[in-house]
Amino acid sequence: MSTLVGIITAADEDTRNRSLEQFARSASAETLLRECEALDRLRRENENLYEQVRALFFLHSIHRYHLPGKPGIAGRGVIPFRGYEELRNRRFEEAIETFLRHQAQAGPSDALSSGLSAAYRQLGFQTLADQVRRSVRSIAGNQWMFRIGHPSDHPLRVHRRLLRPLENGLFPILRETTPVRMDLTHCGWSDIFFLGMDFPEGARVLNVSIDLSVESADPTQAQAPRPPVEGYLRVIDRPVLRLASVDLQASAEITTFAEVFDFARDHLGLLKAALIAAGIVPPGMEGAHQPLSDLLSQLVGSGQGIELVSKVNDIPKGSRLAVSTSLLACLITVCMRATGQAGSLTGGLSEVERRLVAARAILGEWLGGSGGGWQDSGGVWPGIKLIEGRLSAEGDPEFGVSRGRLLPGHHLFGEDEISEETRQALQASLVLVHGGMAQDVGPILEMVTEKYLLRSEEEWMGRQQAIGALDEILGYLKAGNIKAIGEATERNFKGPIQTIIPWAGNLYTDRLIQQARAAFGEHFWGFWMLGGMSGGGMGFLFDPRHKSSAKVRLQEIMDKTKARMEQSVPFAMQPVVYDFAIDERGSWAELHGRAGETERRADGPAALMPGDYYRLTFPDILRRDPWLLSSAQRAELEIFSALSAGDPALGDVLPSLFQRMLPQKQEEESQDSLSAMLAANAFDREQHEQIRGDLRSGRIGLAQNRLPTRSLIEEVAPEELVDATAGLPERFDEIGRAALKAGEVAVVTLAGGAGSRWSQGAGVVKALNPFARLAGRHRNFIEIHLAKSRRSGRLCGTPLPHVITTSYLTHRAIADALGDGDGCGPDGPLLLSPGNSVGLRMVPMVRDLRFDWEESSRQVLDIQAEKVRESQHNALINWARSQGEGSDYVDNLPDQCIHPVGHWYELPHLLRNGVLRGLLEERPQLQYLMMHNIDTVGANVDPGLLGLHISAQGAMTAEVIHRRLEDRGGGLARVDGSVRLVEGMALPREEIEFRLTYYNTNTFWIHIDRLLAALGLERAALEDEETVAEALARMAARMPTYVTLKEVKKRWGRGQEDIFPVTQFEKLWGDMTALPEMDCGYVVVPRMRGQQLKEMAQLDGWLRDGSAAYVEDLCDWPD
Amino acid sequence: MEITKAVITAARRTQRSLPLQTIIDSDGVEKSVLRILVEEVIDAGVDEICVIVYPGDETAYAATVGEHAGRLQFVQQEEQLGYAHAVYCAREFVGRDSFLHLVGDHLYVRPDGGRCAARVVEAARSHNSSVSAVQATRETLLPYFGAVGGHRLPGQTGLYQVETVVEKPTPTEAEQRLAASGLRAGHYLCFFGIHVLTATVMDLLGGLLSSTAAAGADGSPGAGLSLSAALNLLAQREQYLALEQRGMRLDIGVKYGLLTAQIALALNGQDRDEMLTRLLELLMTRSMQEGEEPI
Repeated sequence: MSTLVGIITAADEDTRNRSLEQFARSASAETLLRECEALDRLRRENENLYEQVRALFFLHSIHRYHLPGKPGIAGRGVIPFRGYEELRNRRFEEAIETFLRHQAQAGPSDALSSGLSAAYRQLGFQTLADQVRRSVRSIAGNQWMFRIGHPSDHPLRVHRRLLRPLENGLFPILRETTPVRMDLTHCGWSDIFFLGMDFPEGARVLNVSIDLSVESADPTQAQAPRPPVEGYLRVIDRPVLRLASVDLQASAEITTFAEVFDFARDHLGLLKAALIAAGIVPPGMEGAHQPLSDLLSQLVGSGQGIELVSKVNDIPKGSRLAVSTSLLACLITVCMRATGQAGSLTGGLSEVERRLVAARAILGEWLGGSGGGWQDSGGVWPGIKLIEGRLSAEGDPEFGVSRGRLLPGHHLFGEDEISEETRQALQASLVLVHGGMAQDVGPILEMVTEKYLLRSEEEWMGRQQAIGALDEILGYLKAGNIKAIGEATERNFKGPIQTIIPWAGNLYTDRLIQQARAAFGEHFWGFWMLGGMSGGGMGFLFDPRHKSSAKVRLQEIMDKTKARMEQSVPFAMQPVVYDFAIDERGSWAELHGRAGETERRADGPAALMPGDYYRLTFPDILRRDPWLLSSAQRAELEIFSALSAGDPALGDVLPSLFQRMLPQKQEEESQDSLSAMLAANAFDREQHEQIRGDLRSGRIGLAQNRLPTRSLIEEVAPEELVDATAGLPERFDEIGRAALKAGEVAVVTLAGGAGSRWSQGAGVVKALNPFARLAGRHRNFIEIHLAKSRRSGRLCGTPLPHVITTSYLTHRAIADALGDGDGCGPDGPLLLSPGNSVGLRMVPMVRDLRFDWEESSRQVLDIQAEKVRESQHNALINWARSQGEGSDYVDNLPDQCIHPVGHWYELPHLLRNGVLRGLLEERPQLQYLMMHNIDTVGANVDPGLLGLHISAQGAMTAEVIHRRLEDRGGGLARVDGSVRLVEGMALPREEIEFRLTYYNTNTFWIHIDRLLAALGLERAALEDEETVAEALARMAARMPTYVTLKEVKKRWGRGQEDIFPVTQFEKLWGDMTALPEMDCGYVVVPRMRGQQLKEMAQLDGWLRDGSAAYVEDLCDWPD
Repeated sequence: MEITKAVITAARRTQRSLPLQTIIDSDGVEKSVLRILVEEVIDAGVDEICVIVYPGDETAYAATVGEHAGRLQFVQQEEQLGYAHAVYCAREFVGRDSFLHLVGDHLYVRPDGGRCAARVVEAARSHNSSVSAVQATRETLLPYFGAVGGHRLPGQTGLYQVETVVEKPTPTEAEQRLAASGLRAGHYLCFFGIHVLTATVMDLLGGLLSSTAAAGADGSPGAGLSLSAALNLLAQREQYLALEQRGMRLDIGVKYGLLTAQIALALNGQDRDEMLTRLLELLMTRSMQEGEEPI
């Protein structure tokens, strides 16, 4: 029997918990391939969900981490395009079949393993997600919603107390307030559904419901903590669903079912998900063609509708306090109460009701295409509770499918277990903050799931420790020892948490902890990470006597540290310190505006919405003709104006209404600074207008990037390039070492780009992002490159000059960071080469958006997430139309509106800005440049490769790697008979790329004089700026210009971010290989050297497959 | 169990005229709704009948039942405090006896022509317990009925031990609390409008009415109380069964309710062919006219 099948199916825990690595490390390729066959059979034939899924993740891991590099596995191989297409369309089973069939015919290869690995992994996650969905649907209380498909069948009715208008003409308002949840131990992400369903014993969380307020320096502005999320529901006198999100400043009146299920159309997706998950518009009605008013007439009576309003009280996104799930749960609760699905219209909820709300919040998150953990709706419950996974039993929908249930059990701690004094002491000691970083934790949750299923040795041990930490902290809570809690939570953060996921920590957090300790010494009791990853919501425990000063000091520390790091780390907002209190009520409802009650009450005006609601909705109402308003709207205006004089919460609304209706000044200011920035960067308006004209007329565009379809594009023959994957002959090493020793080489690191995929368009300087901990410290890309140059220089005995090219986006920040000496400190000369070519981004053409959607490679998402994405796509098309296709993109911060114009320009800048000239004057012997991307962290001045380049006697040698599935964007090809690098966007058809087995690393070895000759220059001519400029202009005209869509983030509100695709232009260096005078040679290098880190989601694999260790070996750190 | 008394509620102010409406019964004879109900009761072997009425309606009601008038006793519901209170108004008439209860705005039809109430009384007699007639009803109709949850009695056809009773449950609550074995998905046992109840119900109603603050449509305290609340307590207190009915309950208080009841009675009675013929004629005439040019 197969060893791995034995591990997965073992009855005893010790065997079952054995890791894959243990076995695979020493197994031969032949053994592993045999095991793969057995695992594939197991996952097909076995009915146990978790055995299936574990087999899938074993298969993924073997193909991703263990087979590549083993003797017998070819480095180079073809990935069948058909399999890729199947994978992209989520036809995972078929993709696996295709790849396996190909493997049987062509033999195993690194390339095919990359396809298999991706397919098995995605099938694993899909299988798990399907099970969660099935479980949520089959929970008693949720099933009916999927059966109701016609408005006339709707079995709910709105509570009669909400249906009777008050004497003043308004309808009563049901207001739900819900605390958010705080995770007291950081549970090692054990509340991920999949983990809880397979390992309920290990899924345990200490969860506290809390109220919050933002600490204010001005005591008159200080507010007591209150439940952070609120939902309001009332009947309205129009047959529509009116939705308003006060915090996201969005509102809409919905009249069709299609709009209800269109989640990404606006910022009201969460409210729509709540309406659906609460059964007001049951999920079974998706696609119903009847008017929505038919449904409303069943629910609230003919001619009437429902208004649902959400409000988040000053808590930013990414707080790690599950604000969005709490808001979803709050909205679901208010909808359920209003339709009689909770026993009581007002007050608290019963345990059965809370559990149903939690289940429906999971459903709502799935509908909205997002997902959290099962503790996230913990705020619905009161106080402090232990939430634990439960074994599934007969009668549960999970019984026989998974070991654990989807929904956990909640144990509320009474005062006999955790005393009132302890609760007070915890509040007196803990300072809660939001550090300002807002990050997507989705990839982290996937990593956790994967590592759990693989039982990776270290991580599995980390998980055991995290489980132990919970018991330890619970013990301290019962004993009232808060100081010990601080020690334990910090130990947990530094130990198990970062053992499981190293990316949970970051340099920013480390610096905050360090400074808090330096400022408060023994009075700082410990750091506490609040779920997800650090940098956003975090806790610091202090001696209560120092808490007030600690709050002030922490705010200063965070502000200062953010200011120091904001160029290198994506921040979404200014850091804040909260005041908080444990909420002992849980979700709670009140009815505002009882019969006969028309005057103001102590807790707010009768039957009026919160002040911010009117700030949002009145501008639109005031613009309408009065006779178009409904009688309730008129009544509301009258009552509002009567009450606002005496109520500051309402009175404040009026002045801001004018600002909102006539927003001008801010826009003008923003335009001014953009113009200044364009002027400072020599923006060429004339050329810009010409490009706009070409774009609008269709002469250029995404489709026009492509080479003519008649082009003959073929794979190159192995003999047309040198294979250096297994090393090069010693003689090349010798030549290279001699050149290094003679000081004939310099490194050029391209760091002018924004690295938009790295931070999804956040506009930080990727080069300075401290993304990984190497040699005990967080390091950024520049530190790594300089450490490699330092090592190369020391090995050959001659310091290596290092040039970093910059642009308007990156120059100041890189110069400042290098000036700070922030861990860099090279031995040789370190020069910055600033570039000053910029373009102004444009609103994309609808034609290009559609082309990108239809033609470009796009991974189809899970069915619900795909619906959300399609809706987003339509929303973006509407956005482009409304903004004006091809118009200047100016609705953002100025530096997000302009763009660098591609890395082709970076070497020419080096010629124009005098940096190369200076370097040559200082080192006339300098002859070779190694130019590479900032994210090719494995590229160093390898003597062998240098020697190869010198021996080839061409102007340039380009490095390529064997292609894997994820390597998209062109490669090495024979185009109409000439070997060259070709960009992915230039390929006439996508499948052509899959015939090309070599991928461009964008690392080039350049012979300076031969390059100058190709430009029609020589060294002496570098003195003459005009001659250089003319030569470069001639060359630029020969280079193709690509139109691309880039994603930029627009930040607004409190940590909210929208992503927009914008059009920009670029020229790329790889096209130089097409020039015959460059006489370019090609060399295939090991993957670890050539791979580029484009997305943060790659980091875990980069660490696990040994690439990080490879890079570390190339470095010589100054510290 | 002896069942000699029956209570018919017909006191709702807005529906006072319903029991007076005349309709052709399945035997082809024109009768008032109240008379049909009274005959249903008599056929079940019950002689003493109490009708709960709006004050002043007694004479008109008595006049519509013909020769059965002598069997009727009228009790006034002096305050409009809802259905549960209306039943409670019969407490003195009932005394400590079990009683058959029907609502005055429903008619019942069995496909085999038999009487619905008789089956319920028979079940109550043979099991010596309260029995409510129920019918498997789609969840979409839950807002109109009280519903029961329970388990099927082994060896008995269509009989359930009632464990929970909820008035007009939401489907959410129904799924969680009212599952009954043997029913199709999304179907629940909803009241048919016929019950045989022990006098305990009157005690429970008395207790609930004195303690509840549930407001009715007009805001009166107690008027929001349903009979289901008392029946839910009854299920905890003593054996309480539900008998599944295959017939039809016809609510004559809704739009076209009386017309639908008339058609149903005719289609299930001796005039079946005549009714079918007339319906067909109506349909055909309309179809033919649709194909003609307008005059």
